[in-house]
Amino acid sequence: MSEAISKEAFQALIDRAGLTLTPPQFDELRIAYGYLQAMRERVRKPRGYDAEPAHIFKPAER
Amino acid sequence: MSKTNIHDLTIAEAAPLIAAKKLSPVELTATYLKRIEAFDGALNAFIKVLPEAAMASARKAEAAIMKGEYKGPLHGVPIALKDIYNTKGIATTGHSALYKDHVPAEDAVTTALLAEAGTILLGKLSTWEFAIGGTSFDLPWPPAKNPWNPAHDPAGSSSGSGAAIGASLAMGTMGTDTGGSIRGPAAWCGIAGLKPTYGYVSRRGILPLSFSLDHGGPMCWTSEDCALMMDVLAKYDPIDPGSADVTKADFAASVKKDVKGLKIGVVRHFFEKDAEIDPEIKAGIEASLATFKDLGCEIIDVTIAPLSAYADVAALISRSEAFAFHEETLKASPELYGELARQRIMMGAFIRASDYVNALRERGVLIAQIAKVFETVDILVTPTMPTPAPKLGELGNMLSRARPSFTRPFNVTGSPALSICPGFTASGLPLNMQLIGRPFQDDLVLRLGSAFEKATAFRDTRPAQWAMPSSIAAE
Repeated sequence: MSEAISKEAFQALIDRAGLTLTPPQFDELRIAYGYLQAMRERVRKPRGYDAEPAHIFKPAER
Repeated sequence: MSKTNIHDLTIAEAAPLIAAKKLSPVELTATYLKRIEAFDGALNAFIKVLPEAAMASARKAEAAIMKGEYKGPLHGVPIALKDIYNTKGIATTGHSALYKDHVPAEDAVTTALLAEAGTILLGKLSTWEFAIGGTSFDLPWPPAKNPWNPAHDPAGSSSGSGAAIGASLAMGTMGTDTGGSIRGPAAWCGIAGLKPTYGYVSRRGILPLSFSLDHGGPMCWTSEDCALMMDVLAKYDPIDPGSADVTKADFAASVKKDVKGLKIGVVRHFFEKDAEIDPEIKAGIEASLATFKDLGCEIIDVTIAPLSAYADVAALISRSEAFAFHEETLKASPELYGELARQRIMMGAFIRASDYVNALRERGVLIAQIAKVFETVDILVTPTMPTPAPKLGELGNMLSRARPSFTRPFNVTGSPALSICPGFTASGLPLNMQLIGRPFQDDLVLRLGSAFEKATAFRDTRPAQWAMPSSIAAE
């Protein structure tokens, strides 16, 4: 798991998100944030053109 | 037919009796309402029971059938809905204080389809709060309990849907599945539960959790009954952006066909390398593979991406999408959410757009990988859950739930996935097994599940503690 985020840095993320947390909620979410960091690092990797999110549009019927 | 109790009949067994006017929908419905009244106090499967409306529907169904207007195998069949399916004029609470008084103006598409097919709605079922927060003890209604042992957890989020079928409090129920919420309760409640292919069943009118991972699907005593439900549920909905305009299978016919020659791929690394499972669950899988072999199937081991790859993608997408839906109410009224739902949904606030996009890209890779594997096999087999049902209250908080899931991979890939019961532990709790198919081959998955259930005797055992005679008049 990634290094734990500091309380100050995590409080900044909470403030930015506009959430209101009790101290126990803050502590639990801060620990869970470590798992999130690890996930985010694992999905960050090079991929080919075939892995682009895209939409397919249907031509209008004439 | 050797069964003597009405409530032991499957839908497939009851339907011909109803069609032949040998089994009364009124009597059938009254039987189930009586059972709910007697037993649900110990199970909490229902949030709301609708006795008057159910009996009125049953009388209407019976009158139509007596006039020769039989609609099909679900006509007169008592069902119940997870309480995130919108029901016109009937509260749809999401098992949450936030939606305690939420009364939809319209039925969900699936609610309406089941009503048109002539089903009898018995009531609305317990769920984890908004299909994510559970097992919770801080909500307006208590959590559902396991029908095989009420001291144990029924799993979630379709907890009431699983408990109701397990205890014979309904013949069919609807669940939803974003990461395993149909298959988990099916596993721990010892029933059959199908997460259909993404897009096969409309999601319109079901409270969303994660738009691109949500699925609605049937939960029944048998795979064959799930097939009968799917014949009604699988219908293109042009207003659901995820709905697929495909030719529907004839589920009732397909489920009866032979399984000889099917190639079954065992994803052995899921439970031998990627995660640990209970020895009894593993023994159940091995014994089931022998049964499949006896049925004429070919068994090979296959390799797909590791569990953790799917878990990352599923978590990043589901939390992001859940937070997008709940953000405003979570900020305005956090106190109206239970602790677990609030914490789990709030995690989405910390996922950045780039993380979400990376997860979407990886999802595409995983879908392509599994499609390649399905060029060599027809069905994949894995456990559904790593253990039998733990004690109620032992599932724990958000952090202790951060463990591998055998169900999430197939929300990521959108594949049809069925959980069935391949036996019981020494202590009498259900074992579990998951069958996964190619997109829109849900009928093939159900066919294999049904063949297994008919080749074994596990469907003959119902939980003993909910016994109540209800004799079949036709016998």
